[in-house]
Amino acid sequence: MINKILIVDDSPVSRKMLKSCMPKDREYAFFEAFNGLDGLELYKKILPDITFMDLTMPVMDGATALDEIMKFDKNALVIVLTADVQVKSLAKVMDLGALLVVKKPPGKETIQDALSKAEERLR
Amino acid sequence: MDTDTQISEEEQDILQEIMNIAFGKAAADLAEVINIFVVLSVPDVRIIKADDLPDYIRTEFSEFGNISIVEQNFWGEFKGTALLIFPAGAGKELISLLGDGGELTFESQSSDILENETLMEVGNILIGACVGKVAELLKDMITYSPPRVIIEDQPNISMPKALFDPSNSAIILKTVFCFNERDVNGFLFLITSHNSVIWLKKALADFMEQYE
Repeated sequence: MINKILIVDDSPVSRKMLKSCMPKDREYAFFEAFNGLDGLELYKKILPDITFMDLTMPVMDGATALDEIMKFDKNALVIVLTADVQVKSLAKVMDLGALLVVKKPPGKETIQDALSKAEERLR
Repeated sequence: MDTDTQISEEEQDILQEIMNIAFGKAAADLAEVINIFVVLSVPDVRIIKADDLPDYIRTEFSEFGNISIVEQNFWGEFKGTALLIFPAGAGKELISLLGDGGELTFESQSSDILENETLMEVGNILIGACVGKVAELLKDMITYSPPRVIIEDQPNISMPKALFDPSNSAIILKTVFCFNERDVNGFLFLITSHNSVIWLKKALADFMEQYE
């Protein structure tokens, strides 16, 4: 069961868009970080059930943060939510251990599918 | 600057996210045409007076010496000019990439023509994908002028005077495209005039309504 969700994205608008796409009949505890480094530190502190990770961010990019999170917790469930839809970028984050990639802007259906996939992994 | 054309912090954030999505689309479109990986940066969005633009461009590119500018106008509710700016010589770096897999044919063309055509091709893809994505997200329909390349001697920027009309405001939407394999940086600016800003503010609000 997903309870704690970490959102790592430098854009307040993107974080708001993502949260608005979450199912309304469920209650989640959201935690937010504004760059990859903060996201990594917050991950270690709260151990979220799933993490949504942007790629293009200041201080530490999402791919680096994903790599560090997977080194820290090989079972981490990280969904990359990105505008960088280059094939090489997507292949790179999948190689690093992302559960899946969702292209921005997010839609309700896409996010629900992503959550279902994460729930399956948690069972 | 009129208060009706000032953009709030929230509008700036929305625009930044939309540009982020648009730049991502532009990079992916370019990567489909040529074998290149584009390292994207966080877009910088700001609004300035149009007549401050030449100084802004000079400051931003002071270390480059000469620059090459691909200029393309676009028309819709969102109307303006896109400028893709490269350091002089960037076109030569990019020629080989397009030659490897692009659609340009290079028979018996001079090196300057080749460089210009390469910049125009790259500019056309990046600007088209980027502006097109912004228009799509904001439910607008855009038409474009053909791109043109301007080689600038830095201190004497000779861009069209209409761009720098003091009664206009210019929304600067800047991102850095770093072409990984070639060590070339490009800067894309979209400049829209006063009239587009009022429409843009409403379009941004409408866009966010679906996420309320």
